Amino acid sequence: MSAQQRVPLWAAEPDLDDEINDVDISLAIPSYPNADMYDDPNVQLDESALAMQAQIAQQAAFAQIPDVVKRFIVHFHQAVLENNLPEITLAYESGWNRLTEKFYSKTEWPEAEIIAPLVNDDQIFLILYRELYYRHVYSRLQPNVDDRFHSYENSCELFNYLLNSDGPVTLSLPAQWLWDIIDEFIYQFQSFALFRSRPANKTDDELAMLGSEGGGQAWSSYSVLNVLYSLIQKSRANEWLTARSEGKTEEEIEEIIGEYGTRPLYRQLGYFSIIGLLRVHVLLGDFTLALKVMERVGLGLSVGQKAPFTAPTAAHVSTAYHAGVCYLMLRRVTDAARVFTGCLNWVMRARQYHTRSYQYDQINKTADRMYALLSLCHTLAPTRLDDNVMNIVREKYGDQMTRMGRGEEGLSTFEEIFLYACPKFISANGPPYDDPNALALLLNPPTPASPSSPSAPVLKPTTSDPTHRHLRALTAHFLSLTHVPVLRSLLKLYTSLDARKLAGFLDAGVDEEEVLSWMMVMKNAGRCVGRVNIAAGADKDDEKGGATNGTPARGSAARGSLLDGEWMSISDLNYVIDENMIHIAESTVGRRYAGWFIRNSEHAARVLDSVRALPLPVAAAAPAVGSKSQGKDGESKGEKNAKADGAPRTGGQKVAWGGVKAA
Amino acid sequence: MASATAEWLTPPTRTELIENLVSGVDRYNPSNVGILEDYLYHQIRSEEYDCLANLAILKLYQFNPDLFNPDVVVNILLKALTAEPFPDFNLCMSLLDDRPPTSSTDEPDPLPTLLPMLTNLYDLLHQCRFPAFWAFYKSEQLESLRENYTIECVGFEDAIREVAARAVKATFTRIGLERLGTYVDLSGPEVDAWVAKQGWVVDGGVVGIPPNPDNQIESVVIRENVKLPQLAKVIAHSAQTK
Repeated sequence: MSAQQRVPLWAAEPDLDDEINDVDISLAIPSYPNADMYDDPNVQLDESALAMQAQIAQQAAFAQIPDVVKRFIVHFHQAVLENNLPEITLAYESGWNRLTEKFYSKTEWPEAEIIAPLVNDDQIFLILYRELYYRHVYSRLQPNVDDRFHSYENSCELFNYLLNSDGPVTLSLPAQWLWDIIDEFIYQFQSFALFRSRPANKTDDELAMLGSEGGGQAWSSYSVLNVLYSLIQKSRANEWLTARSEGKTEEEIEEIIGEYGTRPLYRQLGYFSIIGLLRVHVLLGDFTLALKVMERVGLGLSVGQKAPFTAPTAAHVSTAYHAGVCYLMLRRVTDAARVFTGCLNWVMRARQYHTRSYQYDQINKTADRMYALLSLCHTLAPTRLDDNVMNIVREKYGDQMTRMGRGEEGLSTFEEIFLYACPKFISANGPPYDDPNALALLLNPPTPASPSSPSAPVLKPTTSDPTHRHLRALTAHFLSLTHVPVLRSLLKLYTSLDARKLAGFLDAGVDEEEVLSWMMVMKNAGRCVGRVNIAAGADKDDEKGGATNGTPARGSAARGSLLDGEWMSISDLNYVIDENMIHIAESTVGRRYAGWFIRNSEHAARVLDSVRALPLPVAAAAPAVGSKSQGKDGESKGEKNAKADGAPRTGGQKVAWGGVKAA
Repeated sequence: MASATAEWLTPPTRTELIENLVSGVDRYNPSNVGILEDYLYHQIRSEEYDCLANLAILKLYQFNPDLFNPDVVVNILLKALTAEPFPDFNLCMSLLDDRPPTSSTDEPDPLPTLLPMLTNLYDLLHQCRFPAFWAFYKSEQLESLRENYTIECVGFEDAIREVAARAVKATFTRIGLERLGTYVDLSGPEVDAWVAKQGWVVDGGVVGIPPNPDNQIESVVIRENVKLPQLAKVIAHSAQTK
């Protein structure tokens, strides 16, 4: 109710407000009847002191702020003070974005110091405000070196407040915002690392800041990991997930997770930090550790597991994307494909719901990257995947897939797609800004020591950036598979074939020994380690029906390491070599009828239900209806339960796939 | 259940101390690097292998460039070579961040010359070009690698032979003894002994490889297998409406 009344306060037609732009400061400061409920000692309204401090420049800047923005900030602050989640959500998801579009699409929001009088100089709110302020700078504008350092300091202050206050803080924020805080923190870390990794074209100012002692500390990998691990430990997120999957009672769980973990703020931050850790490890190239930290969380929706609470779409998408990248780099292509497919399917279905997130664009971009990576998966290990998803992959990357299927000439396409779709990998440490000599050496290297290896690969240890290192690992695998398509098409024609004869079919210069090595490579490529258990449980839609009794089983599956796996065969073409003779066996998949049958029975049942739900054509007295319908039912259904036909069915009946429309 | 990756995740030889380092937050503590390095040298001496523990060393190097020890890195990579067809080598390479050119060291860094060679060795293994692997491995160019590193790594050549054995076992039911010899770089009585150790039988210059899941093939037609839960919804609904 109060929400309804307050919205128009700052969402009012701004045209009216333009008239009173230069509103007096004191007018803009509302009184806080309930300021004392906020236990921060910093909040002390001292109007005269404030007025003294306020500098003329600040006053001028303050006067520039449109009135509607001022009211928005006051209102936003009030909502945060009251821990009013619906109001905060509204302000966060719609108010901020609307005002950004209107007033700040090309400039910064007012600095925190300038709006401080509006919020009673509430330091906690100002930290949250700066969080939004810098995020806006990073996403809409070009952050300068000061912004980068200051946003780091602000993040530190925020996490310091959350982690090192006396006991858990009473703040409440919506899950979406909490996710965004973690996500943005990592994004800025990544952005800083990329900025730092390019020592060329830096101004003297930037060089000085990066070379200073603080410059070496800011956004260091250790500090970022420290924040994430602290949040996870403080909230006992992993213990919470374990206790849940073990089916402990609410009281037991509360006992385990303690005073921090019981608060949604900490619990959600802890949970999101685990996903954040996955991303950080991927960025740093540690694909095993990345999956290891996710052991308790599991891979969520993309493998059919439920998240323990309604997490933002972006969290699911980020999980699936980064986990898929890990599997791809671990050469567990089927697992990668399954995670991508599961998530993309889900994104397709949920598309209409997540438009309001400011990360909507981001989700679409990530989804597109997943389609691209799927095309790589399909090239490395052509297996049957979900038709809906594969159709889109073919639509988007059909030409590229054809090119990649042609062996070596597809290499550049393969690289192109990987470079587009991979995360922006970073180095843990930057160039030696604190050592001008070393930096100069790096910028103008002496003639590099040429590697003396005969087939010297492109790898140059001193100058390769992380992305190219990972690319190289994957392309080496791609190149080892370049002969597979040709071999496959030839082998498919035979049940047995002499290896020498096969060599003769191939390009001149290929001898039997080489063909045999290709055959061994192809054999290795035809099998792959994958998570069989999860596969059986999750890639079928039918599983949804058994969700209630299936949950405990899945919970235990989720507890197994994400790195676990079994060997499985992924090729339908198998062969074995008896000295020189290749014997070939091809497996075929028979036609599937069950899905068709189930779909049509469901359809028939639906039709039957709606027919029954219709009022009878001839209006008649109640008893007559009863007997009539009895007669009809008796004809069409044979035996039936007497109590079902006491009255005509006019209301819709609950069925497994949702309510039937009442006629 | 012993999964394909169980031993890789937690080798039976891993001690509790190492397990705590690998799985806990203490893995980031630079002062533990010594323990992990000692463990690596233990692996080198006693033909053990623990990929995750070695990755933890590389992680510490990644975050603390001053700890970086090129000899340790080479040894880790040699160990990872022997894990093919698992991608351990690439996983290790992924953690080797750029290092600024060392302007002030007494001895030259061996990595810039060794890394391309190791990568090349790995590529040959990955492409199953075993004779080419041995030729390159034994070449003059790799003398320093052999004399300074692989000689210390007990059972390195045997471990590479195992890589070849894994590929052969999956692909062949029978293979010429001579050809097999080129894959494992052995000849005469040595290859006979090696084959016997594998439990394979020689019959007139041809080695018979016992059946295993990979070298037995049959054409199968995969038929769908409809399980009751799939039909639960349909059946439950029709039962309800009666």
